[in-house]
Parts: sequence; C-alpha cells; structure tokens
Amino acid sequence: MFQRIVITFSFLFFVVFQSASAQTLRYMMWDPSQLEIEKATIAKFESSNPGVNIEVSAMPPKEYWPRISALAASGDLPDVFAMSSGYIQSWHADGQLRNLKAYADKLDMSKWFSGAMDVARLGNGLYAFPQNWVAPVLFFNKDAFDAAGIMYPNSNWTWSDFLTATVALTKDKDNDGRIDQYGFWAYGRYAHIEPWVFRNGGKLLTTNRTSIAPDFRAIEAMKFLTDLANLHQVAAKPQDMEGIRSKDVFPMGMTAMWVDGSWNIAHLRKAAKGKFRWGISQIPMGPNAKPATAKGYAWADMLAVSPNTKNTDLAWKFIMYMTGSGRKAKDFLGGKVPAYRPIAESDAWLERDLQPSNKEVLLEIGSGTTTTSFTPKWSKWRGYAASKSGGMNGELDEVFNGRQSLRKAIDNFVEYGNKVLSK
Amino acid sequence: MKLAPASLSMLEREYRRVGFYLILPALIGLVLFRLYPIIASFFISFTDWNVFGGGEWVGLENYFEIFSSKEGRLILLNTLLFAVIYVPGIFFIGLALALALNSGFRGAAGMRALYFLPYITSTVAITLTWRWIFSTRFGLLNNLLLEFGLNNPPAWLGDPTWSLYTVVFVAVWRDSGFYMILFLAGLQTVDQQLVDSARVDGANRWEVFRHVTLPLLAPTSFFVILIAMVRSTQTFEITYALTGGGPNQSSTTLSFYIYQNAFIHFDMGYAAALAYVLCIVVGGLTLVHHQLRGKWSYV
Amino acid sequence: MSNRHFKLLMITGLLLYGTLTIFPFLWMLITSFKPVGDTFKLPPTLMPSLLLTDHPFLNFELVFQERNFLRYFINSCIVAILSALGQLFTCSLAGFAFARIRFPGKKIIYGILIATMFVPTEVTIIPEFFMMRFFGWLDTLLPLIIPSIMVGAFGTLMMTEYFKSVPRELEEAAFIDGARTVHIFYYIFLPAARPALASLFVVAFIHNWDELLRPVLYITNDDWKTLPQALMNFVSEFEAEWTLLLTGSFISTLPLLLVYMAAQKHVVQGFVHSGIKG
Repeated sequence: MFQRIVITFSFLFFVVFQSASAQTLRYMMWDPSQLEIEKATIAKFESSNPGVNIEVSAMPPKEYWPRISALAASGDLPDVFAMSSGYIQSWHADGQLRNLKAYADKLDMSKWFSGAMDVARLGNGLYAFPQNWVAPVLFFNKDAFDAAGIMYPNSNWTWSDFLTATVALTKDKDNDGRIDQYGFWAYGRYAHIEPWVFRNGGKLLTTNRTSIAPDFRAIEAMKFLTDLANLHQVAAKPQDMEGIRSKDVFPMGMTAMWVDGSWNIAHLRKAAKGKFRWGISQIPMGPNAKPATAKGYAWADMLAVSPNTKNTDLAWKFIMYMTGSGRKAKDFLGGKVPAYRPIAESDAWLERDLQPSNKEVLLEIGSGTTTTSFTPKWSKWRGYAASKSGGMNGELDEVFNGRQSLRKAIDNFVEYGNKVLSK
Repeated sequence: MKLAPASLSMLEREYRRVGFYLILPALIGLVLFRLYPIIASFFISFTDWNVFGGGEWVGLENYFEIFSSKEGRLILLNTLLFAVIYVPGIFFIGLALALALNSGFRGAAGMRALYFLPYITSTVAITLTWRWIFSTRFGLLNNLLLEFGLNNPPAWLGDPTWSLYTVVFVAVWRDSGFYMILFLAGLQTVDQQLVDSARVDGANRWEVFRHVTLPLLAPTSFFVILIAMVRSTQTFEITYALTGGGPNQSSTTLSFYIYQNAFIHFDMGYAAALAYVLCIVVGGLTLVHHQLRGKWSYV
Repeated sequence: MSNRHFKLLMITGLLLYGTLTIFPFLWMLITSFKPVGDTFKLPPTLMPSLLLTDHPFLNFELVFQERNFLRYFINSCIVAILSALGQLFTCSLAGFAFARIRFPGKKIIYGILIATMFVPTEVTIIPEFFMMRFFGWLDTLLPLIIPSIMVGAFGTLMMTEYFKSVPRELEEAAFIDGARTVHIFYYIFLPAARPALASLFVVAFIHNWDELLRPVLYITNDDWKTLPQALMNFVSEFEAEWTLLLTGSFISTLPLLLVYMAAQKHVVQGFVHSGIKG
C-alpha cells in the first residue's frame, strides 16, 4: 500500500513537472459526443503553435461536475475547462475562476451575442468566455398542424393563439377514449417553465438574485401552463408519460408541440426521422408583456480559466481559438448557436437542407434581450438532474398532475428555495 | 496423539510470530477504508463543507436542519415507512414460502431455486425491467388492468400515492427469496417429532404453527428482522433505477437523498449529517432488536 | 380443510408466486427479441418477433457492437473476479489469524470489524471519494476492486467461524512433522475450507457485479464503465429504446444466472452465512 502511494505521488510529480516544462494546457469538457470535433480543432491549434501541447478529456455533464468540483477542491483544476451558466455563479463565489476582463476589453464586443457574454459578467469582471449558447424553443409537428388544418406557429403568436391550436391538436385518433396526441406537454422542468415566465415579462428572482419571489407575471405563466393539463386537458400530465423519457414524447408523436432547449434539435433529427416534419418557433408572448419587456431565455456554455494556471496568456489564446477563429459552423451541432456572430450568421450554420428549416429563429432570440434564473445552489432549489423530483420542479409536477394547487406549490418552493439560498 | 505442553506452546509461538502479518491486509483495509472515512464523515457532518473548500464549523446546524425542514422530515418518514412495509412484507412472504416448501413435495428444490433467483441477479437490470412494466401508458401492468376493465389504472411511478409502495414492492419481490432461505435453515432445527405429536394430540395446523413452530423459530425470526431492518435502509440502486426518488421526492429515502445532496448539490456537510442519521437509525434498530431479543427469548 | 385441499391450495399459491418471480425475467428475455419500436405498440405483445426474422440476435449485435457493451462486460468481469479472488486471499488469511492465533488487541479488532459491518456505505463514501482522488485512482477500476478486497468483513467473519471448526489435531501433527504456519495454512486450512471459499467467491462475485454507487462516482471514462452503470446511462443518455435496454439488462443478468445455476448450493450457503448483501 505504502509503495502504491509513493508510486502515485511520484507519478503526480512527474505530471506536474512535465506540464511546467513543455507548455502543456489541460482542457476538460463535458460533451463526449463533441470530443472528435474538439480533437481536430485542437490539432490545428497545436500545429500553428509549435511547442504547445493540449491534453483534452471529456465526460457527460452529470459526471463532469462531481469530477471538476473535486479537482477544484484539491487546487488541481485543469488550465481551461467548460463552465455552464448554471454553475458559474457558485464557482465565481468560490474564487475558482480567473478574471478575463483585461483580455476581453481588447475585443470588438459587437461580434459576440451580448446575452451569452452577460452570463459571465459577474461583479466587475468577466469570469468565462462563451463558446455557444442555447435557448428553449417551441417545437411543433408540421404534419399534425396540416392534418388539423391550422397555421404553423410564428413569432407573433399570443397565448390564446397557442391555446386554440393546442385544443385543436388534441386528438383521440382511434376513439378508444384515450388521447393519443396531445396538443402540448410540459412538467416542472426549468426549460419547460422559465421560457413562458420570461416571455410574459415575469421574474422568478428578486432583482439582486438572492431570493426567490415569483411576480404575478411569473405566476400567470405557471397558471397558464398547468391549466393546459388540468382545466383544458389538452396537455399530457407528467405522470402519464412516466416510462418515456421527456425528450422522446414529442418525437413519438404523443404531443404536437413541445417547449425545450434548442439542443434537442440534434436529438430530433435522429428520433423523428422519417416520422413527421417539424419546425421551431419562438415561445408565444404572454398577455402581460410588451415586446420591450418580453425576454428570451438563453444561456451559454463557456470556457473558463483556472485561477492557478501558470500560463494565462496561452489559455486565453486557446480559448479565442476554440470559441471563434478556429471554429467552423459544422462544429456546432443542431441547436447550439455559436457565440461568435460571424459563424452563427453564416449560411453553413443555418443548415437549410436539414430540419428545422428556420434556425434563424434562434438568432432572433439571441438578438433580443435574454435572461436566466440561475443562482448559486440552483440545482437544489430548482430540482435538477438526479434531484429533479425535488425543489420547484417536484412541486410544479404535482400541480401538472392535478394533485396540488398552484398556490400551495408556489408557497412550498419559495419557502424551500429561500432556505436553500440563505444558507 | 497428544502433544506435550512444551511443543504446544511452540506452535503458539510459531503462530504468534506471523499472526500479525496475516491480518495486516485486513487491518489496513479496516483502518483506511472503514475507520478513517467513518471518523472523517463524523467531522464533516459538523461543517458546511461544499467541495470547493471552505468548510466552516457549524456545530449541529446540519442535524437541526434535517429534523426541522419539511423535506428532511419527509425523507425520514419515507425511510421509516419503507422499513415498516418492507420488514413485515419479507417476513410473511419469506416465512410462508419456507413453510410451504418445508412440507416436502416433489419439485420443492426447484421452486426454492426459483424464489431465490431475484436476490442474486443484477438489481439495476431487473429494476429497469420493472420500471418498464410499471410504465403508465405503455407498461404491461396497466395494459393488463385495462384489459380487465379498469379504466383509469394508476401511475405507479408517477403518483406519490403509489411511488414509494412501488419501490418497496420491488425490494420485497427481490429479497423475499433470501429470507425464505434463512427461514428454511431455521426450520431444519425444528424437531419434526414435536410437530407430529402435536398433530396427533389433535391440534390443527394453525395451532401447531402458533404454539410449536413459531416459538422454535424465534431465533431465526429475530435474525431475519435484524437483517431486514438494516437492509431496508439500503435502497440506492432500486430508487435510482425505478423512480429517481420522484415524484416530488415522494419515493426518496435517506440512502438516495444522501446521494443527491453529496453528489448533485455537493452539500457534503449536510450529506454527511444525513449519513450519520442513517447510521444512528441502523444502530438504534440494532440496539432495540438486541433488547427485545433478550426479553423475548424467555417467552 | 382436508389435507388434500390444503396441499392443492398451497401449491397453487406457490405456483402463482413463482410466476410473479419468473415473469420479469421472461419479459426481459422476450423484449430482447423484439424489433426496435415494438415496445411502444399497444397493447403490448408477448411475441419475440425477431426470432422469426433473419436476424434473431439483432438487438444483441447492436448492444455489443454499437453500445460498447463488450467493453462494459469485460470491465464488470474484471471487477467481479479480481475482487472475489482478492477477498478469498485477505479474508482467509485474516480468518485464520482470528480463529487460531492469539495476539494483542485481537478481540478489539474483531469487534470493530463486526461493528463496521453495520455502518452504511453512505457514511463512508464521501471521504472515500476524496481518498480515491488523492490516490489518483479516479477513472480506473482500482476503487471498485481495492476497497472491496480489503474490507471483506463478512468474508472474514465467515472464514473465522469456519476455521474454528477445523480440528486442532491436524495442525499439531503437521507442526511436529516440521510444517510452519504458511504450510499449515496452505495445506491444511485452505483445503478444509473449500466449500466456504467457494461460497465466499460466488457471494463476493455477485456483490461486486451488482455495485452501482461506486462506479457512478468513480468512473466517468466510457472505457472503464461497468454494466449496471452502463445500463443507467442507457436510460439517460441514449434513446429510450427499451428493446436495447432490456437486451443490455439480460446480458448483465446472464453471468449471474450462470454462476447461480452452476453453483446453486454454494450460492445459497454463502448468502445464509454472510447473512446480508453489501
């Protein structure tokens, strides 16, 4: 055992020594499906920067966060690592991110989507740099719309347009008394609820983002959504979809419309292939919002630099390459929008030959005002990933299932969330 | 052949020379992988450590939070409810199967092997299979119920009324065969002559069971209950694979809640406190069991 | 109630419960021979319709080739076999020492060993995680093997009890003939304990095969994942293809079924001795 520890240690020293001498950057990311693309880009970076060596590793998000957190705890962070909008505030608060403002000030900021950049602006600094961003959109089944003889959704849709369509699209095709195609479906998930809140001009948090206080616009949005399942019975209840993963309900044709993150475009291209035609649209604007107050919900995937790195200049150079100049449109799969406008606005990224045919909807969202509700400890009060049965998500699910009043649910998650945030 | 005392002590001495080295691997393991983490966890549970460092001493705050928060109490209640259904569940099914198989008929050995099967197979694999069977819309169970004319079959995994019971069901289903084996082993010690003579004296089956078999099975029963109580707290695999603790934490028990707090929210201090509560629950049950056993063994 | 009626009722009950026991396994097997997409047909069918086509093992091919299951399968085998063999080694050595040798602190160590059996994994897992990180063992199979080998409390208990029943005369005779501790252990105790060792092996194999929490925490690299972990990833990462998922489930159950069928007696005895899984 002792020998093993010695070996382990000497190995660690060897690694540390190595990285100091040969200009090695360690880089960690969370999307294994992107790794091949990443490696190709890295190879180009290395060949144009002789003597530089990039060590890259990738793992799925639910494994990435425990791992990278443990590395942070031991002061062993990789030089450059992927950072999400959901965690950046906790990480910044813990002093685990290097301020990049001095570098970024030299850039022409109009070339980047400002919403994506804003997520990383904390305090007076810039604590990560956006690579791509995503936003929830309204997915709709074109074949179902055609069959019902109604117009496709567009950016001017109101909630009543949406409701009318939802009612018309809810169908018991084989007359067995059970609905086979719902107009819509949603549960308490952040990507299902927040888009509607923000498009109604609503807020979940107080202005200083330190406590949870849904305003009447937010409550109106939650009421509208939960009424679809209970009052109007045109949206599937979460409990009835149990056993089917949330992202499969739409491609299976169980619902004609669905709101979730734009990253699902890549999934739908596979899962709905050969089944039906589909498109995307903005989330309908709420009755209590004006175009000036309706906000999009968008957040960025970023690259951050460790505060312990010995080579910030090189790390910055690498980030610039990986988020902009070194990139091609095809590096960004489906619904991931490049944060660097020249790539996002190129024809290559719009992918006209694939579904959906109108990816500019995303650019439209990104050009408007966007916001988020991320805070430190977000995963806990919101109920996320393996704890999605808790927090706000869990409480709202029970409203969708018709077992709890919205009022009660809000009381519960506000109390719970504020307790989490005050800790 | 008997050894002279002198040479016996030589064997002892020879043993003693190497004895320590023989337990060394196990001793290192015990210290490194059990004692150290147990003690470290204890200290962590008094801090607000959240992986990034920090870790200020907060005294009993984490423990206080478990018992004062709605969620904490719900999880404790779920854990308790789980045990309250699980223990009698496996007890009665395990005992019934053992008694039936013990009555001796052709094919009993085959049946015994069959009932034990769920216990030794991969928990994740079989739980995922159950998840598919329990699925609200496409699951086999609800489609069967529809066939039998039940128009609105429940959402077994999606309704808080059922979710915890569904998790317990799978746990009982998986483990009953194991307790059956324990009971069968216990029944070997029951003197068949006592049973036979009671029958000859005119006692009916129930009376024989109640007054002869059950008292003789008391040691086994106590052992089964102890094991079952401890095991009822170890639900991670089934919860994770069946419901993910939902909906609205209705099927989350301590074991899964610790995982959520430690490795999703990185609230290590709180998670460690939860782990110690679990430890205390298990320890308490063991103690209660010990006390009762002392009292009841005279019955 | 007459004897015959009672017996009839009893056997009916046993058969019903037997059906409930076997059914999920059958359903798993049937589903692994259904074409993709059949699972969402209503009402569900019991027909393993792939068997009637040219590619009856299509799902198995997909799971092994496209979903990397061969790799997971090998990893699970490595973990389960090495852990089980390692436990035989440490537990029998320690068991021998506890059963035969007097040394200071023996009772205390033995007591602690038994007491820690009742400490749930959840208590130790957080510090253990950071220890593994410190050793640099994350993303290797070591954290799944080494602790399991070195903390065989049940195994040690079982071997201790077993070795206590080995008659003294044998080793005394051997000692007089010049055998030393190692020889005595190897030539007298190990052969005498063969049934116990066999039971310990299968029990340890099954436990380690089934472990989920540790792989989920320690392994993120796809190359080192184990079967239960890969199955959970199936649910969250890939399409909800229940045909493939249940095929994967069947694959990860099969070795346990084989071990069980081959060594049923040892399995049953082992679990009765160890008393508890985990």
